[in-house]
Amino acid sequence: MLAKASDRLPEPDLADAAWAAGVETKRRRRRSVLIGLIAAVLIAVIAAIGVSLSGDDNSQFIPPITPPSNTNYLAPDGQINGIDFWVAPPSGSERFLDRLETPLGDRLQQPDNVEPLADRPLDRIAAVVLDDRGDRYVPLLLGSDSSWARADVELLPIRTGTPLSSGAVSPDGRIAAFPQPGELVTVDVATAEVFRIKMPVQDIRSVSWLPDAQRVLVSGPGVAYRVLVGESSSGDEPLVAIAGAADPSAVTAPFRLDKGAVLRYMAGGQWTVDSALQLQLPVRAWVGQTFSVDSTAARLFIADNLPEVRTNSSQPQVVAAISTLRAEPSRLLILGEPTVMSSTPMDRPYVREPGCCAVLGWYDHNTPLFQVRGWVLAWDLNSGRVRRVTELAVAGLAIGPGIHP
Amino acid sequence: MHETVDPDFASYVDARQGRWLRTAYLVYGDPERAEDALLHAFTRLALRWTRVDDPDVFVQRLLYQPALNRWSRVKAFPDEDDPVKLALAELTPAQRTVFVLLHLEELTEFEVADMLNMSHQTVHGHGMSAFSRFRTALGGGDWRDSPRDSARDRARDIGGGDQR
Repeated sequence: MLAKASDRLPEPDLADAAWAAGVETKRRRRRSVLIGLIAAVLIAVIAAIGVSLSGDDNSQFIPPITPPSNTNYLAPDGQINGIDFWVAPPSGSERFLDRLETPLGDRLQQPDNVEPLADRPLDRIAAVVLDDRGDRYVPLLLGSDSSWARADVELLPIRTGTPLSSGAVSPDGRIAAFPQPGELVTVDVATAEVFRIKMPVQDIRSVSWLPDAQRVLVSGPGVAYRVLVGESSSGDEPLVAIAGAADPSAVTAPFRLDKGAVLRYMAGGQWTVDSALQLQLPVRAWVGQTFSVDSTAARLFIADNLPEVRTNSSQPQVVAAISTLRAEPSRLLILGEPTVMSSTPMDRPYVREPGCCAVLGWYDHNTPLFQVRGWVLAWDLNSGRVRRVTELAVAGLAIGPGIHP
Repeated sequence: MHETVDPDFASYVDARQGRWLRTAYLVYGDPERAEDALLHAFTRLALRWTRVDDPDVFVQRLLYQPALNRWSRVKAFPDEDDPVKLALAELTPAQRTVFVLLHLEELTEFEVADMLNMSHQTVHGHGMSAFSRFRTALGGGDWRDSPRDSARDRARDIGGGDQR
């Protein structure tokens, strides 16, 4: 009966339809999974953006005062008229400081046998010292590869003694200039050529290069000249008289720390006070030349008695790294006195007497180099740390850009 | 899963679709619902073809379990005047499903219980009450009053045994 009741149904053909529906279902499932994944990723991204934009927690984040990336950072010891200062390691402790590797080596002394510059031309000058031969001096030039060469010229002493100015080396490290009585002597280390340029006055004491490495400022007491050494592209006169200064070493370019202000060298041979940079520093006297890199100028001064740093046996001297930009801070490094002091005279050799020290140049954009008694030191402006560069066993020294490899 | 139909799947469906469609027709009381249910069951089988241990049980569970929905208000065999179909329409969906599987598919009560996810006692109860109501609807008396051999013959007549 049941079979008879259902036997009039047509014969179906469901195989193809079922298979096709299965394929479509499978395709739809894959699509759903894919859309679900994309939606999940989108939700996660939107949630992450929302969290980052909410900002409630970020606004309460106080950045640490000490940059976390610079683990060597030393906090400044205080402020003088709003400028951070650090106190340098005491004299006698230089040997125990971390060392800054340079072509000068661990101890800079006069080499024994030096080849003539004509036989061994140099690429860039790292340092210049003078070989004292009684009444004559011979320049010895140290290249960036730590090799020595002797210039084929004999120099006479000047009024102040050795004819070596700390600004002797040109900014490109190729030429060294020496003040001589009544003339300027230049040595090209690539070609070993020596030029002698006559000066209008006899008493020449200081040289300082302009940044273009073509012109050099030559100065004596109260007089100064701009001398064209290289090729002139703008028809400059070979020798132009400019404004002089009582202290010949003060005549520097492009900046000059002098008279309680930063002075900027102008193309006409004048210096103008950078009005925004009036310095309120306790300067008794500036010492040595000003050396500039980018927007920062460095020079050493002998200070009046500093209430911030008490000294008993020495006059405090300060390396000033003054920024010409408002956004960049200026910094001071005070050369104090030995930590252990006694009244016995044996301590006197360790005291940094006025005149012992001066800025020599820059190792890189953040590291001025300066000379103290028997040592050349480097001061890292970013971290505040002082490192030793070399022990000095020579009388005078001028630094060139070849010191930085 | 290939785009073209698997030959084994096609031969499997061809061999069973006619019989299962007739059974589903009597279970659902509607040829369109029966065909839809069978197509759905075969589609699910196509998705898992070669991974199903017993395809017959797999398809039949999918085919008959939806008919047990007690909330379905769809009337079976509307606009029919065949007394057999009208008698089937008198049964509940569960009674009709058990009754058709027992007497048309000739499954045992245990097989039906496994297929419909019911206990054996439930299947037995549905089978007995459906048999009684079916007989009554066709004008027969209580089968328990009939001699034993006569009752067995009537049961064979319900399934239409010699016709298959």
